[in-house]
Amino acid sequence: MHESRRQFLSTAAGLAALAALGKARGQEAPAGTMPNDSVKAGKVSAMQWHSERPLTGSVPAYEHDFDVTPTDRMFVRNNLLTPTIDPTKHRISIKGLVDKELEFSLEDFKANFAPLTMQGMLECAGSGRSNYKPAASGTPWLATGGMGCPTWTGARLRDVLNICGLKPGAVHVAGHGGDPGAIDTAAPVIRSIPLTKAMEARTLVAWEMNGKPLPTVHGFPLRLVVPGWVGSASTKWLHTIYVLDAPFKGPYMDLSYRMPRVPVQPGEKMPEDTVIAEAWPIKSMITSPRPEARFRVGEQILITGRAWIGEGEIDHVEVSADEGRSWFSARLFGRADKYAWRKFTFPYLADNPGKQSFIARAWDTRGNAQPQVPVWNPLGYFWNGWHRVEVVVEA
Amino acid sequence: MKLRFFVLTAFVSTAAYSQDQLISGPGSTLTENKCKICHELQHIRRSPLSRGEWADNLRNMKARGTPMSEAEMAVILDYLAAYYNREKPAPAPSPDTLVSANPMQQLLERHACSGCHALDRRVVGPSFKEIAARYGSDAKAVAALIKKVRDGSRGTWGPVPMPPNSGVSEADARTLAGWILQQR
Repeated sequence: MHESRRQFLSTAAGLAALAALGKARGQEAPAGTMPNDSVKAGKVSAMQWHSERPLTGSVPAYEHDFDVTPTDRMFVRNNLLTPTIDPTKHRISIKGLVDKELEFSLEDFKANFAPLTMQGMLECAGSGRSNYKPAASGTPWLATGGMGCPTWTGARLRDVLNICGLKPGAVHVAGHGGDPGAIDTAAPVIRSIPLTKAMEARTLVAWEMNGKPLPTVHGFPLRLVVPGWVGSASTKWLHTIYVLDAPFKGPYMDLSYRMPRVPVQPGEKMPEDTVIAEAWPIKSMITSPRPEARFRVGEQILITGRAWIGEGEIDHVEVSADEGRSWFSARLFGRADKYAWRKFTFPYLADNPGKQSFIARAWDTRGNAQPQVPVWNPLGYFWNGWHRVEVVVEA
Repeated sequence: MKLRFFVLTAFVSTAAYSQDQLISGPGSTLTENKCKICHELQHIRRSPLSRGEWADNLRNMKARGTPMSEAEMAVILDYLAAYYNREKPAPAPSPDTLVSANPMQQLLERHACSGCHALDRRVVGPSFKEIAARYGSDAKAVAALIKKVRDGSRGTWGPVPMPPNSGVSEADARTLAGWILQQR
């Protein structure tokens, strides 16, 4: 019974996507989609575009020196194209293992649920991928970028699920996004998360980012926000929520976002035993000074950065000025929200002329530290190696 | 003057096209046509993989909706494992011997028509024979087909629309339309 139900859901979703996505392959943006140039117009000129199709961009670490990531610095990562959705016609449906399947207009949805505003990290699973040697398959994210910590406003997903009533056997919740494909055979973008995370107080169906309606490229009019977890869990252009009795089966669950349970050597095929990418491990980066910044001997250099973890607590952050031989404890600022990144600072007196490097390393309360180089994996996920910045000290 | 303008345009469009290409070799045309439906080819160029990883990658792309047969996947895998292999240097560029010597077939591949259409079976869209049978071959049919090739079309063959192909020149579209309508 449950098995057939799930198959029905997968099939229905596939057919709906097939019927709905009448989009083109030309060089211009197809009807119903936003051209890349329009997306780029909403971003700072410092944003580096790693790919046009699918559109992917991020700012380098030194452009991330903000406690709350400004909208024009938030990373862009699409699986397919950028849809333009008419908010007056948009509907959000909740289907599957619920007592009542419900559908809301955008207006009704916003009116029906008490909004929560929170700060929360989102980071693409492949953020930092280009640090892996040899190169792993996938979008060439730079050493830093591919993450951000804006504020989000929306309904708690658990309030939405509770109003529908969960049936016994519900264990996973999937978001279906309206990503338009270049061709109609493009698989629907569907990702599911365990019910425990779906019921977490800070998992949102959001309609605002930094106090304004979601920008088109960030999921207007509705998106999931699953803070701390890989970005793919935070389905953009959300139109359907499925409550399921098992993880959803589809390419964005079974073939992407997978890591071997036991590490493999580069060149080996992905083994049978894999785990899906969920919460980000401990990570940090230096957001100031920028690389090649110039200082004078005797000047104080204030090293500033941000540290974060997908689930858990940051314990402390260290800074090394001698390539990791010795470490100083940085000052760690309080967290603004459960899933917000935290600022750290360390003042360093520039004493010797020449090149001077700084490395940051964060620890969590379970004793995990960022590795110098994380274990290689075939799809290049979860890069959380030490971040190093080199500046110049002049005599 | 008019001729000069034409030559210049042709040069510019060729230059833009050549920026996103793979190393020429057996299977390179098919690989380009299938992969660039959805993404730039730099994603292939930047990260040579092992044969096994390419096989995993192709399986993922097929599941994501790339219209390609098992036979086509085998050609693409052989090509990628030869020319974009992390473990061994790429062979020197050579002509794509798997591309037909037939200029019409080349045109169909260059404009990625063969990504979705085949002569006598359905891939994503109707076969060329079905199209020829429906439209006849008079001048009106040619004009109608040129428009469909360049501007796209929907509703004629079911729910899946034909995307516009504005990169196909009027002349190429005319050649294609004329040939398609003869396939009866």
